[in-house]
Amino acid sequence: MMRLPLLVRVLRDPAAVRGLDGVGWDLLLRQADAANLDAFLLVLLEDAGLLDAVPAGPRAHLEWTRTGAAGHARAARYEVRQIRKALDGLDVPLILLKGAAYALAGLDAGRGRLFSDIDILVPKARLAEVEAALMMHGWITTHHDEYDQRYYRQWMHELPPMQHARRGNSIDVHHAILPETARVRPDPDSLRACARPIAAEPGLATLAPADMVLHSAVHLFFDGEFDKGLRDLVDLHRLLGEFGAQPGFWDALPARARELQLGRPLFYALRYCPRLLGTVVPPAVRAAVALDGPRGPLLWLMDRLFERALLPLHPSCADAFNGPARFALYVRGNWLRMPPLLLAQHLFHKAFITKHNESQAA
Amino acid sequence: MLTVGSLSRAELEARLSGAGLVLRTGPFANRIRSDVQPLIDGVALMYADYPVDPEGGFVDFHLDFLRSGGLRRWVRSQVHFAYDGTTPFQPLPLGQAYPMLEWTMNWCVSHRAHGYLIIHAAVLEKHGRAIILPAPPGSGKSTLTAALLGHGWRLLSDEMTLVHLDDAVLVPLPRPVSLKNTSIDIIRAFRPDAVLSRPVEETTKGTIAHLKAPRDSIARAAEPARPACIVFPRWEAGAAIALDPMPKARAFMQVADNSFNYQVLGARGFAALGRLIDASDAYTFRYSNLHEAMALFERLAQGAA
Amino acid sequence: MWRVTPGQALACREWDGEAVLYNDLSGNTHLLDGAALDLLHALRVRPADAATLAVRLADHFDAGDNDLVSLIDDMLVTLAGLDLIEPC
Repeated sequence: MMRLPLLVRVLRDPAAVRGLDGVGWDLLLRQADAANLDAFLLVLLEDAGLLDAVPAGPRAHLEWTRTGAAGHARAARYEVRQIRKALDGLDVPLILLKGAAYALAGLDAGRGRLFSDIDILVPKARLAEVEAALMMHGWITTHHDEYDQRYYRQWMHELPPMQHARRGNSIDVHHAILPETARVRPDPDSLRACARPIAAEPGLATLAPADMVLHSAVHLFFDGEFDKGLRDLVDLHRLLGEFGAQPGFWDALPARARELQLGRPLFYALRYCPRLLGTVVPPAVRAAVALDGPRGPLLWLMDRLFERALLPLHPSCADAFNGPARFALYVRGNWLRMPPLLLAQHLFHKAFITKHNESQAA
Repeated sequence: MLTVGSLSRAELEARLSGAGLVLRTGPFANRIRSDVQPLIDGVALMYADYPVDPEGGFVDFHLDFLRSGGLRRWVRSQVHFAYDGTTPFQPLPLGQAYPMLEWTMNWCVSHRAHGYLIIHAAVLEKHGRAIILPAPPGSGKSTLTAALLGHGWRLLSDEMTLVHLDDAVLVPLPRPVSLKNTSIDIIRAFRPDAVLSRPVEETTKGTIAHLKAPRDSIARAAEPARPACIVFPRWEAGAAIALDPMPKARAFMQVADNSFNYQVLGARGFAALGRLIDASDAYTFRYSNLHEAMALFERLAQGAA
Repeated sequence: MWRVTPGQALACREWDGEAVLYNDLSGNTHLLDGAALDLLHALRVRPADAATLAVRLADHFDAGDNDLVSLIDDMLVTLAGLDLIEPC
């Protein structure tokens, strides 16, 4: 495999910062900034006891991220609180997903991780009530274009994002983790049945640990958007690191993936996390998922595509291949979520018609 | 010490179009790259006294200003700003390249430097006493600042007051003072000695020019100051001069409102602003005559308002 | 009955009878007069209702406030709207 960018080398081994000069630190921080991992870099170095040895210039930049991360954590907690208040009377189980889940459950993956929306999972049958309750408490729907509204409600697994009129924060209300139109259908009822309450937060829950890992994997490998690719891979790495220490976690993971039809994303997760970030995965588990992955030439192609697409989106990490690699994966990602006919229509509309509407409105 | 002024024009252009000119402003190292002549002119004139850092060191901010490329000469040329490869802003007409440098340098600090409470205010110092002038646009703050600089006041900053988070110390960031529209003529008349950049018309803020910071202020950029007063200025035609004390709790709220990053800083920002307010007397200030204003500020510097 | 919202440290600074208070939960900062601050401090000592607070703080309010309980009630509702206190 080609030489890894500095940021990835440091993620694998934080002690690699010891040899850095001014230019090296400069490059590391810029790659981290581009990958949305600058706040995490502070956490990583502090945990490794390396922060005090960082020279003054880069150290200041790392410390600047500390307040932002703390403020973000506070704002997220407050926003979730307001959502819980809004949905209080409905007796709907409130399951947090992704960043909000990591933050509120106090997981390691939540430290130094910023996110822009709150994602929640509710039963499909209660969707209308949830939307109504949120609107009563000041959230309004976005994406007023008729096509976009239809895209979300009919084809996707979520309501169009809602934004709070006064605070400006966004909430994504999901009823499943993949769209109805996708080739695979991880059963939302099963996901909800295995959800775990958050001990310190009455009324809030997260997915079960294995399901959180699978959700993160499917989000990364099926979404088609890789501008946060490395960040999402780091999430997976940290989730696997924390849950891997729990008894029974590894043994049950492959079977659960198959049950949810998510064997393929798990295969990729357990392949690329060790390759890029040095994640420790028991060999027996890797063997157990081997059959869920592509073989031969297709695997070789996926390796080339993903290994480039998962790097930081920064000029220093670009090579001639990267642009096409990202686009190829974008198209592929969308195909996994929508059948090809719908896909062509969607991409055409998104690229041309929607922009035209925007410029009309401007 | 190497300064911008000690570089020949050719050397300056070579650095700017090559690996970059690393310009030190206050605590920050800015790597600037550009091939746009109006910007290079602005840097050569306004930043002549500023230190140039050697290459190979750590840089705080990366700013690239490039003209629209290629053969499209019939398209009116524009300057594009890129921050380390990302383009957060729309391009501007080439003639606005130097003001764009000033605005984007401000943006870099206010968006990232959360080791300070950053107040949208000018801050000047005389006789060891620093006065902070928060003011929304149109209050005459920059005219007042530009005038005071001709009366022995040291410039810590025109736009961004940096308050150290752990103590109430003010960290200098001396940079050119921005003047708009009629202020430009007022200052030309009030301070014939002042060095101004070429006025740039038709920006979103009207006509803009910048006043070169005093050499002494730049030389003392590493010397912090202690706050003594917070003065909210307001210029009003024909008004009698008036300096009225402002209750501290209200001054706190007003300063918080005029800060770039108070919200981001959370509890630390609250504590830092509290210390600043403890250390400062707060006033509202109304004036119409610059000479009278100079005299009153002199009394503030003496601690005898 | 009212109490200070859990997690609310009530960080405040006071100058000349007016105070600013940092709201740990929302991140907002509020300007409060002395009376509101007294209510908060009283509730931090011990949860109470409007009637009890009226008795405890009678000498903190102007003599002219006839319906002190009702006034305090309104203030408590406002403070609850800011997430500083909650019913208990």
